[in-house]
Amino acid sequence: MIIWAIAKTTVGDALRKKVLQVFMVVAIGLIVLSLSFSQTLSFSSQRGGSADLMLLKSFGLGMMALAGIFISLILGVSLIPQEFERRTIYTILAKPVKRYEFITGKFVGALLTLGITTGLMGLTFIITVVAKAIGAHQLAASPTVGQIQGAGETSVAIFDANMIWGVVLVYLQFMVLSSIVLLFSLIFTTTVNFFMGAAVYVIGFMSTVVTSLGGAEGANNFQRAFFTTIYYVLPRFDEFNIPNQLLHPETQVDNMAFYTLKMALYGLLFVSVTLVAAILIFERKEV
Amino acid sequence: MNVAEAVVVEGLCKEFRGRLGDRVMAVNDVSFAVDEGEIFGFIGPNGAGKTTTIKMLLGLLFPTAGKASVLGLPAGNIEAKERISYLPESPYFYEHMTGAELLDFYCQLFRMGTVFRRKKVAELLDKVGLGKDGNRTLRQYSKGMLQRVGIAQALINDPDLLFFDEPTSGLDPIAHKDITDLILSLRKQGKTVFLSSHQLSDVEYVCDRVAIINRGELVRMGTLEELLHAGRTIVTLAGASAELTEQVKPLAAHVMQDGELLKVYVESEDDVHKVLEAARGKATLVSVVPQKQTLEDLFVEIVREGRK
Repeated sequence: MIIWAIAKTTVGDALRKKVLQVFMVVAIGLIVLSLSFSQTLSFSSQRGGSADLMLLKSFGLGMMALAGIFISLILGVSLIPQEFERRTIYTILAKPVKRYEFITGKFVGALLTLGITTGLMGLTFIITVVAKAIGAHQLAASPTVGQIQGAGETSVAIFDANMIWGVVLVYLQFMVLSSIVLLFSLIFTTTVNFFMGAAVYVIGFMSTVVTSLGGAEGANNFQRAFFTTIYYVLPRFDEFNIPNQLLHPETQVDNMAFYTLKMALYGLLFVSVTLVAAILIFERKEV
Repeated sequence: MNVAEAVVVEGLCKEFRGRLGDRVMAVNDVSFAVDEGEIFGFIGPNGAGKTTTIKMLLGLLFPTAGKASVLGLPAGNIEAKERISYLPESPYFYEHMTGAELLDFYCQLFRMGTVFRRKKVAELLDKVGLGKDGNRTLRQYSKGMLQRVGIAQALINDPDLLFFDEPTSGLDPIAHKDITDLILSLRKQGKTVFLSSHQLSDVEYVCDRVAIINRGELVRMGTLEELLHAGRTIVTLAGASAELTEQVKPLAAHVMQDGELLKVYVESEDDVHKVLEAARGKATLVSVVPQKQTLEDLFVEIVREGRK
């Protein structure tokens, strides 16, 4: 009950953050605008409907990820420090609230906020892609364009369930990132935390580069150990972006639901470790 | 431990370390006990260590040395927190919430059920005079209204022990009086109030005992009667001769000629009688006025001594 009460309050507070609203509105706007953007590309290059949809999906997922990463960072860095600055933490921790309940409540609140923002962006993304797919169908059905594009292009599916898994995977990486930033917020200042969080994301996003650096020819034992440690210790954010075919053109996943489940477990493991570490630090933190 | 003690502090110390490694002793070897059912004033200048002490009692800060117990349990204990409450100085709350939502949130922290919460929130809003303003957001509240809602959140659990940090700071006279009356009504209900305040007149008005802290050290503690000695008595005489003036000088702390009048400042009751005896038949007695020392006089004296 206490965790839920703190979580609800956190959501109400977070959703009123102007900067968060701006990132979300811009992302939603860009996802909607990508519809006309891909149409322009389509007509200029006479590309097929499926290529257009691939471009639209990748752009939409990319936009969501970019906006969500900023939202996760902004939300995560201010989650606990803001309670200190506003002194709201004193009246809460003076009540029979265990410190782990406070941290967990704040984190659950952040997850709900990210869930709402990702949900809104995801819904816009799916509607946009479906609208585009319907348009592609109608276009292919017209006698003139149908002849130009060929019969094969009419088989574009209007709704692709993998889009939902794509949105879930995008959300899972926000979950992991916000848990890391929450942990950092108990150790570093807000500005340092923002850049540290961003750095962790960028390194995690380039995990394939990191692992290849570790295995590169000429790498000494120390370099190998260093890059291998980074590879295993930091979350591999690029693996959450597999459905984005612009980022991963070579990767094919046969069962996206199973892959998402696997990544959810990976994300939960990571979140559990960081949350336990945050709780242990907060137990001894003076307020 | 004596069961009649709501707060026991023994040799409490708190040292803060600055970023450059410098150390500041915010609270240094402070010991005191607060009896159940009393209003205990905790006063001192800014930076004396009052809020740091309160925060240690609430488990928000951890002592460097010494120990503290609240309602017979170690400071910061969750069970003790079920029975205590805290009103911080200039309380800040989530501004997007209404007064009723805020109180409902704090009720949830005590695991109260929905129906009970609804009743409790309405009751508390009425109690602090915000019955008609419960549905306004806190952003629209004045400082006095925020302080009232702060008091309301401190009364949610019907606490046995209340920590009030500057509860009347910056309030208008009506709100000020309402809060001091509320503190007095809490005593009638048998509650213990730990009151930290700069409003010395409030402390003098409501507190049973007072502790004065300066530069992290407890410098004086006792009942107001113990702390504020009877003070001087001014014996005013008319037509006193130079001989009489010389005669009463050894009995007085200070003698002042004010035109026709001789004002003799005497420290003890015995000396008052001796001055009157000496003046009998030699001068006309105009008045005998006892001068009571106020808490403010004592406070200023202690702070100035500390600066020296």
